[in-house]
Amino acid sequence: MLLQQEMRSRLDRLALSPRGRVQALWSGGHASLRKGESLDFADYRPYVPGDDFRKIDHNLWARLGQVLIRQYEAEEELPLRLLVDSSASMSLHQKHETAMHLAAMIAYLTLSGGDRVQPVSTPGPAGRTVAVGPSGRHVSAWPVIERWLEGLEATGRAPLSPAIRSLIGGSPTRGPVVLISDLFDDQWERALDSLFVAAGGLVLHVLAREELSPDFAGDLRLRDIEMGAVVDISTSEEVLGTYRTSLDTFVSGAANRARRAGLDYLLIESGADAPETALRALLSSGAVR
Amino acid sequence: MSFLVPAALGVAALAGPLLILYMLRSRRRQLDVTSTRLWQTSDVQVTSAVPWSRLRWSALLLLQLLAIALFAVALARPFFSQRTLLGPHSVFVIDTSGSMAEGDRLDQAKTEAVALAADLSEGNLVSVIDAGPHPQVLLGHARKPDEVIAAIESLRAGGGEADLSEAIRLGRGLATPDRPTNVIVFSDGGEAPLPEEPVAGATHIAFNNIVDDVAVENLTTDSTGGVTRGLVAVANHSGGEARVELAVTVDGRPSMQLVLDLEANQHAVETFELDAGAGSEVMVERLGEPDGNPLDDRVWTVIDEDAVHSVRVLGEGSPYLAALVAATQGFELGFDDGDVLVVDRGVLPPIDRPAWLIRPESTPEGLELTGLVENVPATFQAPGEPVLDDVDLSNLVVAEAQNVAPRGWSPIVRSGDVPLILLGSVDGHRVVYFTFDLTHSNLPVQISFPILGAALLHWLDGEAPGTVASGPAGEPIGISAAGGSEPIVIMPDGSQRTLTSDTASFGDTNQPGIYRVSYVDDDGTVTPGPIAVRSFVATEAGAPVRSIDTSTDDSTVDEPGVVVREWGPWVIGALLAMLALEWWIGHQRPWVGRAA
Repeated sequence: MLLQQEMRSRLDRLALSPRGRVQALWSGGHASLRKGESLDFADYRPYVPGDDFRKIDHNLWARLGQVLIRQYEAEEELPLRLLVDSSASMSLHQKHETAMHLAAMIAYLTLSGGDRVQPVSTPGPAGRTVAVGPSGRHVSAWPVIERWLEGLEATGRAPLSPAIRSLIGGSPTRGPVVLISDLFDDQWERALDSLFVAAGGLVLHVLAREELSPDFAGDLRLRDIEMGAVVDISTSEEVLGTYRTSLDTFVSGAANRARRAGLDYLLIESGADAPETALRALLSSGAVR
Repeated sequence: MSFLVPAALGVAALAGPLLILYMLRSRRRQLDVTSTRLWQTSDVQVTSAVPWSRLRWSALLLLQLLAIALFAVALARPFFSQRTLLGPHSVFVIDTSGSMAEGDRLDQAKTEAVALAADLSEGNLVSVIDAGPHPQVLLGHARKPDEVIAAIESLRAGGGEADLSEAIRLGRGLATPDRPTNVIVFSDGGEAPLPEEPVAGATHIAFNNIVDDVAVENLTTDSTGGVTRGLVAVANHSGGEARVELAVTVDGRPSMQLVLDLEANQHAVETFELDAGAGSEVMVERLGEPDGNPLDDRVWTVIDEDAVHSVRVLGEGSPYLAALVAATQGFELGFDDGDVLVVDRGVLPPIDRPAWLIRPESTPEGLELTGLVENVPATFQAPGEPVLDDVDLSNLVVAEAQNVAPRGWSPIVRSGDVPLILLGSVDGHRVVYFTFDLTHSNLPVQISFPILGAALLHWLDGEAPGTVASGPAGEPIGISAAGGSEPIVIMPDGSQRTLTSDTASFGDTNQPGIYRVSYVDDDGTVTPGPIAVRSFVATEAGAPVRSIDTSTDDSTVDEPGVVVREWGPWVIGALLAMLALEWWIGHQRPWVGRAA
């Protein structure tokens, strides 16, 4: 079970608060790029045949002699795309488990807010870029989604950028994207940049303590579990210092690119208390209310 | 710096394999990580096609090279040599006379000797001789520095005069045939020059600190006219005037105080009346701050019970004997029961008192007459025998002498194997036995005859209960245990020495004071024996420091030796410290941060 009852009860009282405007197929509780049926006035446009007569502004017709249709803000549901990195690099140091818990938390939070959530995992089965999970828009869909998440395994190689493109480009709706990944990808910068077209969202950057402060000693041959690359190191203060510098550059770069793309960024250290830590951080940042 | 095993320096060649190990591509432990992307710039990748890598210097490598170097040096046993007086066999003759108590001369001598003994190296020997009035070997041919040091530390200055000649002779007697022997004399030199100077084959280490000293030199009593008077001699060996306060005690109770003002280097004699009788123990002690020599601040005497002892002569007698007794202070001829019996030829009477037997018709118990010999010169006189002090019998010739086989007797003068004069004991009484007739020898015309005669009479009389014999510190006390009784000597400090029944003399009298002898029979009965007063030898107080003229020309003596001091322990210590540092660096990795 990815979410305990206590956590679900807490999440029931909370809701996501995306910064962008969504574009969805079903109306919901979030402002849409499209003009819709809400009470909030948005704009006028010329009447075209087929428009609802009830939306003609008779006052402007009388005053200006033009038939204009009154447009209102569309109240749309939040179609949240949840992209979970299930590549082999997530298989160590409880990173995959942490990612699943975070994904479950985000999914449940979305469902409990009456919004649609679409979980997607990369890489997909049989060489495909992504695996699309069951979609849902109510907590009644939660058990199905939870089972799907529990069935995911961290294996294989997953370039993030194609996965994001297929996720956003293939969807008729525009909504927030939540990316849960360690971003250990050759083109992680492009992947984050491509999220610009999404209606905001969140990047949960999952790294392990062993990656944040490695405690190596001696002469080592490091093998990249995902890419298979090999690096020989002789541990020294100089080598570890260089690593720390690279790590700082990586993390700060990821945060900057995520924000530039209009997404919130959160660095999460993998472990059992990662969901709790992430929830507190999301509450304090206003991404969850 | 030199090395005892220089070939061991070759161990330093281990540095070569160590460097090779560092240059060989190491077999790395493989570790799976989530990504190597962040490690790409951290290190130079090494391909398996290149077996060697560039030598990368590290603290560990430097420490390991240093440890190898230290290991090689330690195995090579580095040393430096230092000249020392120690030779293959060194005899320490350490002066324990009264003058060595002045200042801290003996302490300095002991410190020097201990420092030398600490350098005692493997294969070398050291002997230690206590050069007191009667030199004795404290330790012979010792190899262990601890033993030598313990012997040196046990030395104490006494009140007597050192017999350095005898001590050096004793030292030479310890010479071993297989190794040269050098004698090292630790002494202030004493007052009198040695008979043999320059002293060949010896090295003198002098101690010349001179301190102010006031010596209470002598105390005698005189009981005439019903009044007992004391007479004390005091000397000021200081460079300035001195007020000397003396306390007189009788039998341990304060009697009076005397005050003398002495000029620099002045000797003075003070008389005083004593309220004391025969047998009283009188002590005069200098009061005030301790001075340069604590041993010469007190002097003792015991008022003798009877000043004059009678000597009864039996047998033919001779004018020489009569003149001898008359000339000997404290003795007179008696016609009834005398204190001492002299038998001059004639029938041997029962021995019921001390007796001087001069060629009697028969021999006493323990002497077996085996014949007569004619024209025998004296060829040997026992060294160190108290009754022969200042006696020279080298010109003694005897026309006819008995040849006796002694059993339990001590021949003190011999002609070859023929005893001429013997000391012994019969029925618990001291006996002197002359194997020759005085009139058939040239002894009576020898200068030493009255000295010898007086010494023999005093020795014979010395066994009487309560008899007081005074002498310089170090002079032995005659012991004559009757019938197997056990002699006991009460020392000046109150301690007790139990001697064996055949002990003839007790020589541990270097400490000034009163020695009381008693005899314990088998049934536990205690019989008082003689009392001996031993005084600080006055000439030892303020004795000038003198260099003993030595020479090292003797071919049997080596040049001063060389002591080898090894650095090994220090090198090994440094090596261990180096290994500990290496372990610490290797395991604790002090400069590798553990947490970001």
